[in-house]
Amino acid sequence: MVVQKDVFWKAAIITAIVFILGVSLGILLESSRVKEIRDEYKTVEVEWADAKLQSSLFQVLSPKFCEASIQENLNFADKVYEEGLKIERYEDANRLSNEDSLLYEKQRYTLFKLEFWLNSINLKEKCNANYTNLVYFYLDDPSLTERPKQDTLSIILKELKQKYGQEIMLIPIPLDLDIATVNVVKTAYNISVAPTILINEKIKLEGLYSQEEIEEIIQNEQGKTN
Amino acid sequence: MEFITGLYLFVIIISIYLYSLFLLLLFKNKKGLFTHNLSKEDLPTVSILIPAYNEEKTIAGTIQSVINLDYPKEKKEIIVLNDGSKDNTDKIARNFKDIKVITKLNSGKADSLNYGISIAKNEYIVVVDADCYHEKDALLKVMNCFKEDPNIEAVTVAIRVKNQETLLGKLQYVEYTIISWARKLLEFLNSVYVTPGPLSVYRKKTLERLGGFDKNNLTEDIELAWRILRNNHKIKMCLSARAYTIVPETLKQWWHQRLRWDIGGLQTFAKHKDTLGKPNYGMLGVWVAPFYLSSFILAVLGFIVWTYILGRKFITKILSYFYSISTESFILQVKELHLTPSIFTIFGVLLILTYLIYITFALKMMDPGRIPTKRKATVVLYMFFYLALYPLVFIQSLYMFFFNKSFKW
Repeated sequence: MVVQKDVFWKAAIITAIVFILGVSLGILLESSRVKEIRDEYKTVEVEWADAKLQSSLFQVLSPKFCEASIQENLNFADKVYEEGLKIERYEDANRLSNEDSLLYEKQRYTLFKLEFWLNSINLKEKCNANYTNLVYFYLDDPSLTERPKQDTLSIILKELKQKYGQEIMLIPIPLDLDIATVNVVKTAYNISVAPTILINEKIKLEGLYSQEEIEEIIQNEQGKTN
Repeated sequence: MEFITGLYLFVIIISIYLYSLFLLLLFKNKKGLFTHNLSKEDLPTVSILIPAYNEEKTIAGTIQSVINLDYPKEKKEIIVLNDGSKDNTDKIARNFKDIKVITKLNSGKADSLNYGISIAKNEYIVVVDADCYHEKDALLKVMNCFKEDPNIEAVTVAIRVKNQETLLGKLQYVEYTIISWARKLLEFLNSVYVTPGPLSVYRKKTLERLGGFDKNNLTEDIELAWRILRNNHKIKMCLSARAYTIVPETLKQWWHQRLRWDIGGLQTFAKHKDTLGKPNYGMLGVWVAPFYLSSFILAVLGFIVWTYILGRKFITKILSYFYSISTESFILQVKELHLTPSIFTIFGVLLILTYLIYITFALKMMDPGRIPTKRKATVVLYMFFYLALYPLVFIQSLYMFFFNKSFKW
């Protein structure tokens, strides 16, 4: 009975190789995701410039640009919303990278969303549009007990968006990404808790509300516009 | 990097190392795993000890199984050690001819065995639990193993499950197969760290020199094996020799048995902790004790990681459910499936696949034809649910061990 001690160091070598390969693959995956987000940002940047230009054009040329501009704004909103979800998903899966590796992207998208909100307000006024601006203020890094609250409201808002489609401009804005403009908005609308919903820059709903309650307010708002 | 990620990667490193080690041993020794010798020449004399406490249901079968063992009758002494049974064990045992039945006051298995060793006449001591059955050639195969190396002080066999009717029985069938398999592989490192009760054979002189079984240990078979290794002796595992045992059929019985095993393991480790990392204690110091310790660490860390991950998910789900109801918008949402692999996924899939290959290979080799065709579901249940119970039992055993909680048999 000979003790086969050689397997100890052989196993150590295999472990080192497998572990390094696995971690390298992980790092590669994570960096490719960050790169993907950054590349997509460039596309979104162009689309945003295009959308903004259309909004400006109608002001100097003709109101016939209104419909196209609103449409472009809505498309852009969907795109930015989807990107936001993707960033969140990638961020959850990125375990090896720095926790703040996507912070810059999140900040830039938040700025986009702020601009988009502003554009929505402008379009609504200038084009006399009938959609409802629904700004959803949430925390990017909620606590364990805050997250379910936000998740519930997100689902409710998603349902509403699906139901009302282009009648609602849903604009999610994170409150805790250290963006000066967001801080200004927080002060201006006295937003101190998350989640909070701001409807048409007038009605503020703090915490959780049922779908029916929000829907009722939206319908009232749309009735006023009509 | 988050703390939990670091912890996970640490668990991964230990797991990959253990997998690599076992797979290397497997591929290196694939051909010699089942080798055995059935020679009847120069067989030594053996004393078969059957300690029994309230075993009226199984004792007859065990005695008959031992009588039927293919081994020269004149070289075989059978002693039933009735450890103060309150049932008909004694009466049933006495119905058999040519065996000795010793009735004594209840003093525990280890003490009964020590008494048996003191009255045994022969050169080798065979320990057989009173609820086990054997293949006829098991003892012959085992005794031939001793001829291979004079430094082999004990030989044990593959323990198989007799009662496989219930789901728990089927799961334990998979488990016992894997354990036997792993134990055989550990033999190549002289690291067989337990000589289990269903069938293990020792040189009598060695037992006497080492002072027999430890009465204060809940797993006297583990402790004795550690003492044998501590003295730089060898223990062999004869994979082709088989003993069949009755396993617990209810979760409660199972839990109780595992608790005893775990506490016994902790007692053994505590007793021999001085050997940790010391080469003068042979493989016990450099491998068995660290391996045992790493198993403890893996169980505890695994428990922490999973409790953290599942606990967070559970709290989130419960609160979401509560909030959904409070907003009168009870929405059941199936999350969209996004394949976003993380480092957790990469290593998780790798380890699951490796373990699946290992299990399938072991089952296929041990019982050709039965696996994987008939027991696929059992293997899946074993991997994802049964193994998840290990850390839970271990956590309770840690508590009982460190807080001196008494364990009742």
